[in-house]
Amino acid sequence: MIELKDLSYVRLGASNLEDAESFATKCLGLQIGEETGKALYLRSDDRAHTLCYFEGDPSDQTVGFEVEDESKLNAAAATLDQLGHPVHAGTPSECALRKVKAFVGFKDPTGNQIELVVRPERSGKRYFATRDAGITGFSHVGLSTTDPARDERFWTQVCNARVSDRIGDIALMRVNAIHHTIALAPGRAAGIHHVNHQVESNDDVLRSYYHLSGQRVPIVFGPGRHPTSGARFLYFQGPDGMVFEYSVGVDEIEDEETHRPRQFGFEPSSLCMWGSKSARR
Amino acid sequence: MSTEAASSRIPLVQLCYVRLAVAEPQAAATFATDILGLQHVPNKLEPFLFRSDQRYHTLCLAAGVQRSSIGVEIAGDRELDAAAEAMAAGGFSLREATEQECGQRFVRRALIVEDATGNEIDLVLRPAQSGRRYFPSRDAGITGLQSVGLRSRAIENDLRLWTTILGAKVTDRVGEVTYLGIDQKHHRVVLYPSDKPGLVYVSYAVESMDAVMQNNYFVQERQIKVMHGPGREPTSGQIFVRFAGPEGHVFSYGFGLNDIGPGHRPRQFTAEASSLCEWGSECADIAELQPALTR
Repeated sequence: MIELKDLSYVRLGASNLEDAESFATKCLGLQIGEETGKALYLRSDDRAHTLCYFEGDPSDQTVGFEVEDESKLNAAAATLDQLGHPVHAGTPSECALRKVKAFVGFKDPTGNQIELVVRPERSGKRYFATRDAGITGFSHVGLSTTDPARDERFWTQVCNARVSDRIGDIALMRVNAIHHTIALAPGRAAGIHHVNHQVESNDDVLRSYYHLSGQRVPIVFGPGRHPTSGARFLYFQGPDGMVFEYSVGVDEIEDEETHRPRQFGFEPSSLCMWGSKSARR
Repeated sequence: MSTEAASSRIPLVQLCYVRLAVAEPQAAATFATDILGLQHVPNKLEPFLFRSDQRYHTLCLAAGVQRSSIGVEIAGDRELDAAAEAMAAGGFSLREATEQECGQRFVRRALIVEDATGNEIDLVLRPAQSGRRYFPSRDAGITGLQSVGLRSRAIENDLRLWTTILGAKVTDRVGEVTYLGIDQKHHRVVLYPSDKPGLVYVSYAVESMDAVMQNNYFVQERQIKVMHGPGREPTSGQIFVRFAGPEGHVFSYGFGLNDIGPGHRPRQFTAEASSLCEWGSECADIAELQPALTR
């Protein structure tokens, strides 16, 4: 079994790096860790980066997960290879671009680009946001799925993800105590559905609602509250159509042994208990 | 001796009710139950009476009255008499309510007072409680009548009535907007500088932030205009949403009104929108809620 320890980063191709930088600093509020001219490394917590925009195709989107060490990484590569997922071992220069010691890349059954990484870099300098959005860190991703049941099996049987709750057939899965680290979202093709950052308080979610509205950033869902995780949320759209989420108050699964996934109906009130409606799709 | 004992007590007990002047009470009543979620109180005296908590009523839709008024409970007869004397001496007009007026207000005795602006305030004794528990018309999460915003065009004299005579405490100010406390809560009455008398809003407390936000989407789905919020007052800490009611009246749901400690000193906040809402909501249509305009 491939044991995912944590989320590490998201890598997004940007059609225009300047637009991406402007959004990331003025709207999202992340800190620039490094700028190379071809790539923009953004921090959201004490890690050296959790989001990287690189000059490239916006459909080129990758999620990185940390695994324990290189031997676990090699074992994971062998497992994936056996299951018929072609595995790419990162070259030293590719590792340097990701600020990790080693990684392997593969595609999940839907075709989402996933990387398993070892020793992602932390920064000695504390995180200092470009605007007061109250971000406390990069927390989870929504991954598109063309077959929710198949992808749930992949993440829970090949990897160590556990289902916390389901909305219809859509699984919200955790890899640690946090209610979910991977949220599957039905879609026609592979891709990242949304990128979540946690914020400090309810106030931050609502402050950003007004701040981003004032910046003419499209609000696509919320402010609202998920009845599954309990989190208060706001979804909004960044460059190249990527959706970002702020949330606060996500539950922790306290008893790993006895937790049973709850089933929610596939209806709007399962996504927002306050009554906000998603503008997507 | 007895007057001394009376004057040393804070005479104000609680905000009891709002009597809202309406021209079409039936339409307003539908709003009170279907939107606000209050419980109608069938009785022989007032056809449009509503509950929000353990009290017999907190809202009366009064057809055919000239202006809206609020009811405030006074501790006892002695305090009421002392207040009446002080108000008369201070130049405020007041009269004893008739038996019929007391009946319509569900109180044992009332003084009907006019503040310096021209707002009508009932100072009442022994407002009625209900033996039956409150059962709302819809799940709005209301826990009770919480506060009112009053327009003031003579803020100094209005404050003299509320503080010097009635014993309310100024808890905070935003520009000249003045928050008044009469119990452990940050405020029950807020005076907003204006050029006319009247209520700015009537606020009902709800049980959670969830309830405020659910009500926010509930009213929006019914094409009811949200006038201010969802927002949060940096002064009182309460999360609020204010929305348009019938005939130009404004209602509000609030959650998280802070308690005031004994050592609290009134703070002065700058006259700007962020002093009325720290989240960043702005009020476009009510001049009194635009502190930059009212100074």
